[in-house]
Amino acid sequence: MPRLELPELVRGARQSGPLAVRCAGRLMSLVTDEPQRLAELLAMCREWPQPRLVLGLTGSPGSGKSTLTDRLVLEYRTRFPADKIGVIAVDPSSPFTGGALLGDRVRMMQHATDPQVFIRSLASRGRLGGLALGVKGVVRVMGLVGCRVVLIETVGVGQSEVEIAQHADLTAVVLAPGQGDGIQLLKAGLLEVGDLFVINKADRDGAAALQAQLLAMLQRVDLVRHDRSANGVTTQVCHDVTTGPESDPSHARLFLTSAREHLGIAELVDALEARTEVAQERWRTEREEQIEAELQSAVLAEIERRAICTLRTNAAVVERFDRLLGGAEPLAAVVDEVLRRTIGDATSSTK
Amino acid sequence: MFGPRKPRLLIAKPGLDGHDRGAKYVAQVLRDAGFEVIYTGIRRTPEQIVATAIQEDVAGIGLSLLSGAHLLLFRRVIELLHAQGADDIVVFGGGTIPPKDIPLLESLGVAAVFTPGTSAERIVERLDELLCVPA
Amino acid sequence: MKSTHQLGVSRPRPRATSTHRTLSDNRRIVNTLDETLHRIDAAHQRWQAGPVAKTLAKFPEQRTKFVTASDEPVERLYVPTANSIQHYAEKLGFPGEYPFTRGVQPTMYRGRYWTMRQYAGFATAEESNARYKYLLEQGTTGLSVAFDLPTQIGYDSDDDISIGEVGKVGVAIDTLADMEILFAGIPLDKVSTSMTINSTAAVLLAMYIAVGEKQGLTPQQLNGTIQNDILKEYIARGTYRFPPQPSLRLISDIFAYCTREAPNWNTISISGYHIREAGSTAAQEIGFTLADAICYIETAQRAGLAIDDFAPRLAFFFAAHSDVLEEVAKFRAARRLYARLMKERFGAKSPKSQMLRFHTQTGGVTLTAQQPDNNVVRVTLQALAAVLGGTQSLHTNSKDEALALPTEDAVRVALRTQQIIAYESGVANTIDPLAGSYYVEQLTDQLEAEAEALIHEIDKRGGMVAAIEQGWVQKQIEQSAYRYGQSIDHNERVIVGVNKFQVEESSAMELFEVPESTTQRQVDRLQHVRRTRDSAQVSECLRQIESAARGDANLMPPILAAVKAYASVGEICNKLSEVFGEYTDSSAG
Repeated sequence: MPRLELPELVRGARQSGPLAVRCAGRLMSLVTDEPQRLAELLAMCREWPQPRLVLGLTGSPGSGKSTLTDRLVLEYRTRFPADKIGVIAVDPSSPFTGGALLGDRVRMMQHATDPQVFIRSLASRGRLGGLALGVKGVVRVMGLVGCRVVLIETVGVGQSEVEIAQHADLTAVVLAPGQGDGIQLLKAGLLEVGDLFVINKADRDGAAALQAQLLAMLQRVDLVRHDRSANGVTTQVCHDVTTGPESDPSHARLFLTSAREHLGIAELVDALEARTEVAQERWRTEREEQIEAELQSAVLAEIERRAICTLRTNAAVVERFDRLLGGAEPLAAVVDEVLRRTIGDATSSTK
Repeated sequence: MFGPRKPRLLIAKPGLDGHDRGAKYVAQVLRDAGFEVIYTGIRRTPEQIVATAIQEDVAGIGLSLLSGAHLLLFRRVIELLHAQGADDIVVFGGGTIPPKDIPLLESLGVAAVFTPGTSAERIVERLDELLCVPA
Repeated sequence: MKSTHQLGVSRPRPRATSTHRTLSDNRRIVNTLDETLHRIDAAHQRWQAGPVAKTLAKFPEQRTKFVTASDEPVERLYVPTANSIQHYAEKLGFPGEYPFTRGVQPTMYRGRYWTMRQYAGFATAEESNARYKYLLEQGTTGLSVAFDLPTQIGYDSDDDISIGEVGKVGVAIDTLADMEILFAGIPLDKVSTSMTINSTAAVLLAMYIAVGEKQGLTPQQLNGTIQNDILKEYIARGTYRFPPQPSLRLISDIFAYCTREAPNWNTISISGYHIREAGSTAAQEIGFTLADAICYIETAQRAGLAIDDFAPRLAFFFAAHSDVLEEVAKFRAARRLYARLMKERFGAKSPKSQMLRFHTQTGGVTLTAQQPDNNVVRVTLQALAAVLGGTQSLHTNSKDEALALPTEDAVRVALRTQQIIAYESGVANTIDPLAGSYYVEQLTDQLEAEAEALIHEIDKRGGMVAAIEQGWVQKQIEQSAYRYGQSIDHNERVIVGVNKFQVEESSAMELFEVPESTTQRQVDRLQHVRRTRDSAQVSECLRQIESAARGDANLMPPILAAVKAYASVGEICNKLSEVFGEYTDSSAG
């Protein structure tokens, strides 16, 4: 395929056939390699369909998250055979080499030849890699090719992975019994980011105990939030190991599943669909706001990067900075100088 | 603003052969060299491999095979890539491959064959060259 | 050294060395021994501080750290410790007796050499049958059948998925018709046959029994082994088909059937070989293999079998690599640890249940494509390690196997290597000749402790199936393989001809090729069988298999009936897969 620019790629991706997949794949590379171009992409896609739901899945390794993702794909495909589904699998990058080994795809290979499933592996590329923007771009492209739902699965539980999951419409935290670190993770902040909690491998010993623990923690959080008037915590019945049925699935927050045994998946999708019905308009607005905020921080990050460069390398600035250190120069004057020189450098380098 | 990156690569195991030590090692070595590497796991069909390569927009596919089925399976991957208009994806390979098969594979369009004992350094060098990675 | 009591049962207390000595005699002897050891220790320290330090000041050693092929640290010098003398009986004992550290038979190779068994098979049954006859003429004493990948995974040769693989890494077997040709002219009561077959072991065993019947033999008269070790397929080798639970059920059906019908058949060969090939260390090889064994034993016990009924038929299979002394220590450690497990954890009473009998293959991954003649030397070292380690049977790799399947000439040299070790080297004249080596004994202890710690970790993770599903075992092996690869890539480890002592080479060596006509001939025969068999009978047999699979009847009888009706491997396995489902990597994690 020749090197195509953004507008051609967008047009190509809206066609059908193998070349469309290539164009979509290439677009995804473009927005992950150069996330600053997201705005360009967005400008071209005001009218595009967007996914109804972007679901983030995060949680401890060994919680069976990948298998759960795989089963959710299967469930959505069976329920909505005409619709596409997208999966974004995020693995951590090596902080030393920038390389990454993206192995999550292994568990989803049964969908590889299903033209209705689009799977994309992404490396987290560290905090400054712009992944949050990149993921947003990939989500938009998945919408462009017709994905009804996009699942974002993060493998690691590092800061950036959790943030990615948080940028979805809904974030599901996946836990499993017998994983001593599950509760630790919750204490470390996952409790706050989770909209949904899935206890996977619920057919194993310890599921009930984990559920009780989790309920108690959620109630505590809700109390702290003075959130008692908002629907509280309900448990969706997935199969017989849970207690008591609940009426409104769009309010359920705690789910029991066994991805391996295909248990609880349909109930989880029921609840996701119910929530989507209620909230999708709000999510659309939130997505726009998030993108705006992301772009703002990208702009600021770039300003910071350039300013730092000036501060360290520009002889005139360094000189004034030394005077500031010696108390001979006000801070504001140095800032003015940095800004002036940064702009000067930028205009001279683009010429 | 975001620095240049090395291209993305797919390391794949076509056919029924389950020996993935070499494939996994090469995947790790390439990761160490700064590539983003997607690994397919064992026992994949050429169709799965090519579909994955296209969705993931990789610049190269590394095929590893120790069972002796390389001529048929490598050829099938290259044919499918061609059919999808993806001839620009570089295909390289490794595994238990008799020396006399190497020119055959090359004539099919396999860009490089790394036989057992090839050093990691050599593999990285050659791929940088094939994929025009700036030094 | 790591703790050695992690089996949940305390170790037997040291017994007094002899019953007719008085307590005070014993105390005196122990005191004298302690004094002697103390003196040796003091002398050792003096030597390190004196002559060694002086030499080091002038001539530093080649490396700051010496390690085995598995990264075990190696000291400059080993000196006697209390262990091998004070605890001789519990740690070493005598050959043929608990804990079998020194060997499983009282006379070992003085009675009979190990079985020289060359793994072979390629193309169709005709070609492989000819190779077996050649090997028997050359003096092998047992057969070892290599099947192609479609057969191993349960697909017919004309299945789309088999494309390119038919007859490649072994012989293609679709129906009993192939198996009849494979063993034509080979009396099955005179040879023992090992079959490397796992997820489809029940089908191939049934075919072997059926061929035996055609030769007028009962299953009782058959000797041999099926590998039948599915766990290591999930871990390292990849020829799985069904998920773990139904696969384990198939295995315990085979145990139950053979305990009754084929008592001389080794129903499983629990294999560390492939775990090592995938990159594990020596300690991981034995630790993970014995953890697999624990899982099989527990499965059989749950199925109602009594330990001493089936345990004597459990066999093992390990690799031999080039670090000779480490390998010898590994085999001895495996024997001792297994004996303790069987006695202490499972309460096995029969010595036959406690003894670890094993087959060895020299390490395929150690062969180099560069300067292939050097492989003959590697194989010699590795085979020597297996013999010094007390193996029951041995396959020696051929020098050309890093490039292709072996030629007949290369196989002959490989076999001659074993024969030279047996007949010329003299190492088989006495039992466990390296026992008492300070180094080998301490390394044996060290490997045993590490392997035991791995078993303990797997217990903690909920057993082997859980540990595999968590991907933990695979990850451990992958990390070892990575470290090993890096040590070569960084020139910390020398592989002769690969990263040192290279030469310009032409690829002049003649390599074996599987005939191109193989797939066609094989598919023709399969289709001929399909046309000529009683298809109503086949359908009925497949229905029987399905109903047995859905219930809990033993699957061996309906499978045996189906193969006798010429149902194919693929038809039987597809039927089983309808009931059992398929395992994919996606089941892990």
